[in-house]
Amino acid sequence: MGEHGTLVRVRTQPWLSVLDDTIAACITHHRTDLAGRLETRRSLLLEPKLRVPVIGELNQGKSQLVNALVNANVCAVGDDVTTITPTTVTHSQKPVAALVADVPTSGRRAIGPSNEPTRIPVPVDEVARRALVSTPDVHAEVGLPRELLAAGLVLIDTPALNSTGALRTASTFAALATADAVLMITDATGELCASELDLLKEVTSLCPVVTVVLTKIDIVPRWRKVAERNRARLAAAGLRVKVVPVSASVRLAAAQTGDKQLNEESGFGDLVRTLSQDVLKNGDAIARGATAVLAAQATKELIGPLTTALTEARTGEQGRAQTLYRAAQHRLDELRRRTTRWQTMLSDEVADLISDVEYDLRDRTRKIIRSADEFFDSADPAKTWDDFGEWLREALADTAEVNFAWLVERFQWVAEKIARQVALEEAIPEDVAAEGMLDHVGGLEPPRIEKFTIGQQVFVGLRGSYGGLLMFGLATTIAGMPLINPISLSAGAAFGAKSIWDERSGRLKRRQALAKQTAQRHVDDFFLSYGKASKDTARQVQRKLRDHFQAVVERLQSGIAEQATVAKRAAEAELAERRRRSQEIAAEVDRLAVLHKRIQALVAPAAPRELTA
Amino acid sequence: MTLADRAHAMLREALDLYRDSPRATNWLRHHVDRLAEPLRVAVAGQPEAGKSTLVNSLVGEEIAPLSVEGGRQILTWYRGGMNPRAQVYPVQAPPRDVPAARMGGRLHIDLEGWRSDQLDRVIVDWPARTLRGLTLIDTPGIDSSEVGSRISLDADAVLYLMRQPHSTDVGFLQSLQDHPIAREAPVNSIVVLSRADEVGGGRIDALTSAKQLARRYRTDVGLTGLCQNAIAVSGLLAHAGRTLTEEEMVSLGVLAQAPRRQLETAMVSADRFVGDGVPLRLDSRVRLALLERFGMFGIRLVTTLIRQGFTTVDALSAELVTRSGLAELRESIRQCFTDRHDVLKARSALLALEVVLRMEPRPAARRLVSALEALVVSAHDFRELRLLAALHGGRTTLPDPLADEARRLVGGVGTALPARLGFEREASGHELHDAVSDALRRWQEQAENHALGTGQRRAARVVVRSCEGMVAQLTRI
Repeated sequence: MGEHGTLVRVRTQPWLSVLDDTIAACITHHRTDLAGRLETRRSLLLEPKLRVPVIGELNQGKSQLVNALVNANVCAVGDDVTTITPTTVTHSQKPVAALVADVPTSGRRAIGPSNEPTRIPVPVDEVARRALVSTPDVHAEVGLPRELLAAGLVLIDTPALNSTGALRTASTFAALATADAVLMITDATGELCASELDLLKEVTSLCPVVTVVLTKIDIVPRWRKVAERNRARLAAAGLRVKVVPVSASVRLAAAQTGDKQLNEESGFGDLVRTLSQDVLKNGDAIARGATAVLAAQATKELIGPLTTALTEARTGEQGRAQTLYRAAQHRLDELRRRTTRWQTMLSDEVADLISDVEYDLRDRTRKIIRSADEFFDSADPAKTWDDFGEWLREALADTAEVNFAWLVERFQWVAEKIARQVALEEAIPEDVAAEGMLDHVGGLEPPRIEKFTIGQQVFVGLRGSYGGLLMFGLATTIAGMPLINPISLSAGAAFGAKSIWDERSGRLKRRQALAKQTAQRHVDDFFLSYGKASKDTARQVQRKLRDHFQAVVERLQSGIAEQATVAKRAAEAELAERRRRSQEIAAEVDRLAVLHKRIQALVAPAAPRELTA
Repeated sequence: MTLADRAHAMLREALDLYRDSPRATNWLRHHVDRLAEPLRVAVAGQPEAGKSTLVNSLVGEEIAPLSVEGGRQILTWYRGGMNPRAQVYPVQAPPRDVPAARMGGRLHIDLEGWRSDQLDRVIVDWPARTLRGLTLIDTPGIDSSEVGSRISLDADAVLYLMRQPHSTDVGFLQSLQDHPIAREAPVNSIVVLSRADEVGGGRIDALTSAKQLARRYRTDVGLTGLCQNAIAVSGLLAHAGRTLTEEEMVSLGVLAQAPRRQLETAMVSADRFVGDGVPLRLDSRVRLALLERFGMFGIRLVTTLIRQGFTTVDALSAELVTRSGLAELRESIRQCFTDRHDVLKARSALLALEVVLRMEPRPAARRLVSALEALVVSAHDFRELRLLAALHGGRTTLPDPLADEARRLVGGVGTALPARLGFEREASGHELHDAVSDALRRWQEQAENHALGTGQRRAARVVVRSCEGMVAQLTRI
């Protein structure tokens, strides 16, 4: 098959369009990683080369098989773990070999000036030995002029699988990911074991064209039975895989002697025929199969999230706008519920407050009056009035101050309570306090105090002494004494003195009573005027609070209502968007399902797999 | 008091403690009886690893495998006995005898129609020297984990067969140690690199190459601590060697006398060898029989050996047994298993005891639990076995001639006092005493010798402890 043939294949084959559509779909769904993988594979599929990894467990004869296929000692063969790095055998005009250091696709080393892998040419007959001692990130590339390879076959010898060192299997799986066909090696000294069957299942899911090669049939007399049993096991496992028995050592012996008959006995004739029939002549089917597997994987990966998105869009969680709308409505209801209550609350609270404050005021003034009474029980207002006046003023001022402070405090509390009730975020009005409350204490008019002047004293004394003088004068006249005599005079003097004394204490009592009255009146006046002012203030504040909270509530209500409308609009838009999106996704899923069908059609004879969309 | 005695005493104590629990009592009583039984060695491995062939070659007769209807293989115990006898243990019925007979060196059993899924195991009594003091258990392939747990339950020691280290094999060997006591004393398995004749596709140097591989596995990191030794064995050759007949000798002689070129052409493949187109003066049926018996590699080797002069049955047989690795395997079985019979038995008993203590914990058993822990950690016998394995596998190296002496003193060539002290004849108590005192003094020096590495000094301390044990033993006498 030449370049021309390949090109024709490329232009006419449906698998390529399916693959391209899948890549396009991957890009549409922002899965560039998938697209990248598919593109890599696409370019490999477009190459006329057919990559065939030779895989298997330890010491089954993988490397020996490659050597025997190409009749050259290019892969290291040994009794222990031998192959640690893959060897790629391709066609070339003359034998060439090189060790190629893999360049990591990501990481710091990739930033270097050249991303080209470093290639060390080695002699062909030394490549096996050199690969043996290389590091695992180096692989060997061998080119040989062989008829088998000329058709585009690329054989890849891989490290053993399921061996105890798991590190080496990575390169094997990397080779499998880009394989067009796989040769799975198992030797005839034993039947396929469970781990090999598992491996085969995994491999067939990655690459549909697999051939099991039964090696070492030269040392097993009953290899036909083993081959039979293996075929039965494969069939039981549901694997439609061909089993080709071969002997590498017989093939190499045949090559040495040029014995055609022996070569046929080695089974390699069959193997080469199988390779050219199932692999080389079957490039299109392989490409179809590989595309089917890859594209099916990719579409499955694409459909997965889409179906989740679809179910979510149809039944799942509500959108953000919807949630916001719900929340706004909820808050509006809540606010309404609260505002009906806050006004009652305010009036109740203020009524309580006023009565409490009044009681407090009365209580305090009572105490002052009592103190004043007690004071004037003994003190002479004439002498102490100034001090008393000072005390009273202070006491009243104190009362006013404390009572007012309390009022303010209570209002503060009420305001806070209502603020809490109405809306948490609103601040309390600051202008509750009213000024000038202290004015109500007023000036204390001193009571009119009768002065007991000297003249009055004389008059009172004279009035008393006159009576005494007269009384005793008359009495003594009976005794024949003149009206004015020493006795009557002295009695008059005594009576005069007593009168003055009596008059004086009487006057003090009167003064005291008057002072008490004056003080009481003054306090009453204070109580009245202050109480009125206090009540007025309370009402004013109440009014202020009401207005304030009214405004706040209105503001809140209108704000939330606005939010709710916006949210509602958004929610509606969202709903529409979701409907549109779900339709879109459904359409996308349908498109992918169609693509999937086309993919399935590539491997038409096989029963189409269930699409789990 | 030996380890076995202590294990026995602890089992007795546990029996007393758990007398109210029928399950525990049954289990413990079974293990008390088992202590007195011969060592049980299971031959395990993946399917087609060569288990039955190895059993046959160890016994020297064709007794395995047992063909049972139903496809699946069953656990088969081969016990020593005076006469051939076979008992089947059905899953849901009491054990019963089935007819068994030896015919032409082969075991013939009439399983009376029992199918493999109805049978738990078959116990075969067979008169053979190998089976004296050793019960071999042929196991089905370890495809299922069920087989693995059966093996660790039934067997005292394991011969693990593998053709190349596969991840399944390492997994199985690890599962054998998946027990607190087993981890402390990983002293009961030998890895057999089986079908050694097929290494390298049956090249003439296959056995040599296999031996090298085995040597590498001994120090392989993945297998370290999982087995005490790794030995390459060709069961096919060993068996053929042990059962070589005069008739076969004659046929092989014919092959050996054929011109080399002719033989080489015939030996290109098995098909050619048994086909009609080769100029060999042997009937094709005879050739097929020989091929079945010896394999391609075997025929190549045997014809070479005959040409080299091994022309009698005895000579060839002995040479084959040696070359096949069987001799080495038997020696290793002797060293690691039969010589340490008591230790391995005690180990199984302690494992069983631990199971009871773990499954049915009770406050009264707390003392027993700590006693068990102390015994497992301090048991010197386990340490000796570990050191021996380390020395053998090359994980611990001692400079010559210390290595040989250490091996001998910790019981590598025999656990009796004279063997340990290197006397090949009967020695008087006085001589033994002198020898042991001398060894003790020298090894005490080595244990403090800073020219040695940490691991080496640790090894020396184990040797010192062995010497101290011997001194104690001598003073008791």
